[in-house]
Amino acid sequence: MQDERGLIEDARSLGGDYYLLKIAAPRNAGAAKPGNFVMVRVSPSFDPLLRRPLGILESRPPYIWLYYQARGRGTRMLAALGPGDSLDILGPLGNSFPEIPGKRVLLIAGGRGIVPLFHYAQVYAERRPLLLLYGGRTRADLQLLDRIKALRLQALFIFSEDGSLGQKGLLTDGLERIVREERADVTLSCGPEAMLARLALMLKGRSLENHASLEALMGCGFGVCHGCAVRTVSGTYRKVCDEGPVFPLEEIQWPT
Amino acid sequence: MADLSVDLGFRVLKSPLITASGTFGYGEEFLPFYDLDILGAIVMKGIFRDPRPGNPPPRLHETPAGLLNSIGLAGPGSAALQEIIRRLHARTAVPIIVNVCGEDDEEFAEVAALFSAMDEVAMLELNISCPNVRQGGACPAQDAGHTARLVRQVKDRVRKPLIVKLSPNAVDIVAVAQAAQDSGADALSLVNTFLGMAVDITTRRPVFANVYAGLSGPAIKPLALRLVREVCRRAYVPVIGMGGIASGHDVLEYFLVGAAAVQIGTINFREPAAALRITGEIEAEMERLKIKSLSEIRGQLQA
Repeated sequence: MQDERGLIEDARSLGGDYYLLKIAAPRNAGAAKPGNFVMVRVSPSFDPLLRRPLGILESRPPYIWLYYQARGRGTRMLAALGPGDSLDILGPLGNSFPEIPGKRVLLIAGGRGIVPLFHYAQVYAERRPLLLLYGGRTRADLQLLDRIKALRLQALFIFSEDGSLGQKGLLTDGLERIVREERADVTLSCGPEAMLARLALMLKGRSLENHASLEALMGCGFGVCHGCAVRTVSGTYRKVCDEGPVFPLEEIQWPT
Repeated sequence: MADLSVDLGFRVLKSPLITASGTFGYGEEFLPFYDLDILGAIVMKGIFRDPRPGNPPPRLHETPAGLLNSIGLAGPGSAALQEIIRRLHARTAVPIIVNVCGEDDEEFAEVAALFSAMDEVAMLELNISCPNVRQGGACPAQDAGHTARLVRQVKDRVRKPLIVKLSPNAVDIVAVAQAAQDSGADALSLVNTFLGMAVDITTRRPVFANVYAGLSGPAIKPLALRLVREVCRRAYVPVIGMGGIASGHDVLEYFLVGAAAVQIGTINFREPAAALRITGEIEAEMERLKIKSLSEIRGQLQA
C-alpha cells in the first residue's frame, strides 16, 4: 500500500459517461493484483473531501489504467483532468480474485463491472480457459471491446438490454445456457447490485464456485473508517475495502 | 528545530498532534505511512465490552468539506482490543489512549477499569459523546448531571489519566465541561461530531437509518473552535481541541484559543500521512512566528 503522486499520461472520453485514464504510478502498478482498487484524490480542495475508490483495469508497470463512469461530482472533476495533471493515488487496496488454476472460469461483467475482470483476464487469459459474459443497458455501456478482443479469451458473449449490441436482453438471460454449454466451474462477477443479486439467486445450490467484486461508498479505503460495511447472510458486516472487495457470492445478503 | 512538546500537567507529549478516535483504526493500519512515534499520542477506535456490528449501511454521506457518519461504533470488543494493543505496543513507543464506551454507566466503568490495568495504555478517553449509539443522537455528554455521575464512577475505578470527550450537541457544553472537571476528569477533549442529517429526495426518506448522523471535517472547524474557546475560558484542566483540523495553521488557531493539544480526525481518511505533513507545517508556522514552544501562544488570543 502506497500513497503516490501519479501522473496522467492519457485521458480519454469513450462516449456515454465513460472515461479511460492511463496514469504513471510505478509503485501501484508494480504491486496491483486483479481485483485490487485505488483511492484517488480528485482535487486538492476539501470539496469533495474524500477520495474516490476506482478499480484497476490494467497494470503494466509503470502504468495503471482506470476505467470509470463520471456519475457524481467527484468523478466528473476527475473527468476534467488531462495529460500532465497529477493525482494522489493510494493503493493497491483490497483483496484480489482467487487464482483458481485448472478450472473453467466464466467472467460476468455488468457495465463498468468489467474493470476487475478485465484485469483478471489480462493476467490469466494465457494460462487458462476464460469466458466473458458482458452486459449493459445499451452499447454505450459496453466499452473497451477492442481491448477485450485482444485478450486471449475462449469466448465472449455480449448482451444489451436494448439490443443495440450483441444479444438483446439481460446478461442473466444467457447465464443458464452458457454455464451448461461451456461447462464453467467458477464464476467471477462484478456489476450493479441488482445483477449480482440475480446471479446469487440463479447460481444458488449449484456446484459452481462463485466470487463477486463489490462496489461501495468508502471513507478511507484501508479498513479504518468502517464506512463501507456490507451485510452478510450470517447477519454480520464485512468491510468492502479491506475484507473485500471480492467475496464469495453466497456470503453477501443481497436485497430481495 | 522547534520544540513541539506540550505539557498536559500529568504528562508531557512530544507533539501536540493526537489522532482522533474512530479515524485512526487501531493504529496498525497507519504503520505503512509513517513512524507513529512522531505523534503525541494515538486514540484507539471506541471500544465497548463486547463486539458490536455497527449500524446498517449507508454509514457515510459526504457534504461540502464535511462527512456525515453513522458507523455506530463497530468494534471487536475489549478482549480483542487488548490483544491489538499488546501487538501495537511492541512495534511503537507512541502513547496509546483507549476510547472507552458503554451502553450504560456500569459498562463505561468496567471497560475503563480493564484498560486502566494495562501497562501498554497511557491514558483513557471517556467517550460520553458519540451520537450514533442511540437513535436521535442522545448521549451522556448532553447532560451535566449525568456526566458528573458517570465521570465520578469511572474515576473511582481507574488509575490512568482520564480524558472526558465532550459533545457539541449539549445545550450548554461549558456546564458539562465544568461537571466533568469537578468530578475528576484530568483533561477534556472536544468536540465529537455535530448532529446532522441528510435526506434522499427521491425516496423522501432520511439517508441514515438512525435519521441523524455525526458531521466532521473542515466544515465544522469554526464551530468547534468557538466551543473550544468557550470551554477553555472556564477550564482548569487541559483541553484537547479538535474539529476539522487539516493544517498546521489550524493547530495554532486551536492553541491560541487555549487548547493544550489537538486531535486530528477526518483528514486521516483523505490523507493517511496527514499527521506527517501537519507536523512539518506546525514547525514552519512556529519558525515564521518566531515561537520556540507552543506554550508561548497557548490561550494568547487577543480579544
